[in-house]
Amino acid sequence: MSSVSLNEDQRDCYQELTNVAMGQAADRLARLLDAYVVLPVPKVNLIENSELHMAIQAAEADAAVSAVCQGFIGAGIAGEAMLLFNDTSFADLATLMNYPGMNNPEALDREAELELLMDVSSLLIGACIQGIGEQLEIHFNQGHPVVLGQHCLASDILKSGNHQWTKTLAIEIHYTLEHVNIDCDLLLLFTEDSVEKLNNVIDFLLD
Amino acid sequence: MSDANIGIGDIHWLMDILQNIDVGLVVLDRNYNIQLWNGFMESHSGVSPQNAKDQNLFQLCPEIPQDWFKQKSEAVFQLKTRTFTIWEQRPYLFKFKNYRPITGRTAMMYQNTSIIPLESVDKTVDHICIIVYDVTDVAVNHEDARSANESLLELNSVDQLTELPNRVIWEQDVRREHARCKRSGNPSSIAIFDIDNLAAINAQHGHRVGDRVLKTVSDSLQQTMRQTDLPCRFGGDLFAVLLVDTDAQSAMEFAERIRTIIHGLIVRQGDQPIQITTSIGLAAFDADFSTETDWLLAANKALLHAKQQGGNQTTLYHPNMRKS
Repeated sequence: MSSVSLNEDQRDCYQELTNVAMGQAADRLARLLDAYVVLPVPKVNLIENSELHMAIQAAEADAAVSAVCQGFIGAGIAGEAMLLFNDTSFADLATLMNYPGMNNPEALDREAELELLMDVSSLLIGACIQGIGEQLEIHFNQGHPVVLGQHCLASDILKSGNHQWTKTLAIEIHYTLEHVNIDCDLLLLFTEDSVEKLNNVIDFLLD
Repeated sequence: MSDANIGIGDIHWLMDILQNIDVGLVVLDRNYNIQLWNGFMESHSGVSPQNAKDQNLFQLCPEIPQDWFKQKSEAVFQLKTRTFTIWEQRPYLFKFKNYRPITGRTAMMYQNTSIIPLESVDKTVDHICIIVYDVTDVAVNHEDARSANESLLELNSVDQLTELPNRVIWEQDVRREHARCKRSGNPSSIAIFDIDNLAAINAQHGHRVGDRVLKTVSDSLQQTMRQTDLPCRFGGDLFAVLLVDTDAQSAMEFAERIRTIIHGLIVRQGDQPIQITTSIGLAAFDADFSTETDWLLAANKALLHAKQQGGNQTTLYHPNMRKS
């Protein structure tokens, strides 16, 4: 199997691409929630399959999480976006989103949480993928979001998966909001065979 | 396709595709009035595109919750991002019948939808498009898998040899009964049975014979007990029964009856008869048992006492045993 790699310039370029894209995503989130979104530095890594579990666990230590993933593909570049949501965030989020009939955050049920999860993931994933696509001049098609789990341990999320690939390009973005208890992790994972193509596009941009 | 040169003739067949594609397409303007309603929508709703045109979505399809839908689509209009709804969140957006009305197992069509922004020439979003996918089969299969998992869990909760519930399930019953007794003051009792010398029988005649002994005991237990009693295979050579609405005296009668029946049973190994006897520990509910574990421990102590006295007998728990 051809081994893909990432040099420093490429890594910086991915980081810059993500910065721009997540800035757009954060701007939309901020407008939707009317709150200040803290922008972190995205982490870009080429990781092994086995490390993905660790990455997910590290993202949300041992807290209970809910997770949604969504596949995207365009110009031969494919991947999945995964949003891990700390379960303690739901109450504050419901208040911020001003959900009709959700004035009592204590009474948030599973269904309402799913709604929140879908709304935030559509927004963050959509904006990020779109932002990256625009910069690379690639139109990404998005599949439908899939709920990986609600109220489960981060370690249980990847239980059933396709382990044919060995490496993935993982971009991790940790979103937090000022003054409220909301934090979530957005992972953009590109398949091994996409990395080569992405690198070509990136090299073209770097020249 | 965006920069391809499309002639009038091409538009004709492009429209044909939109009409015939087996996916629902609805275009809405800023006021949620329908601008496009393709063949899929027409076939499933019975409303023709001519009739749907310029109608308000919420009037034509009252099943769509207005506030909910607007919250989603406003983000599409304003932020120019796509949004999605999935069947797990809301089984359907448009109330359509199952595509397979005869062999399909649900009456309704499950739907996933994408709501995408449509940019006009000046880059503003004045229209959005709802794309409706039929995901009935996916949803039904998913539900099937879930119920299969539930039955597996149930299978797992039954002891395969004796077909009695296992301890985990039974202890939940005990917990409930403990709470109920505490509340109502009703008497209920726990009986724990131990087959005397099962280890010796296993060692001497093999585990196959030991299994037959276990099966014989559990069969006579199931035949003797009342319908309201809850039995379980507690572990190794232990059985337990929760005797609902049964005070100490009645529990004693029950235990003695079953002990006597089992005492009369003989399992044959070749021409060798094997005599089975049991020891039984009983504990009637007592308000002093603050948790169900205390209650179980009491029954266990009584059982230990019965064994120490030589086996083949029943002992009722007495608070004096607590210290030992």
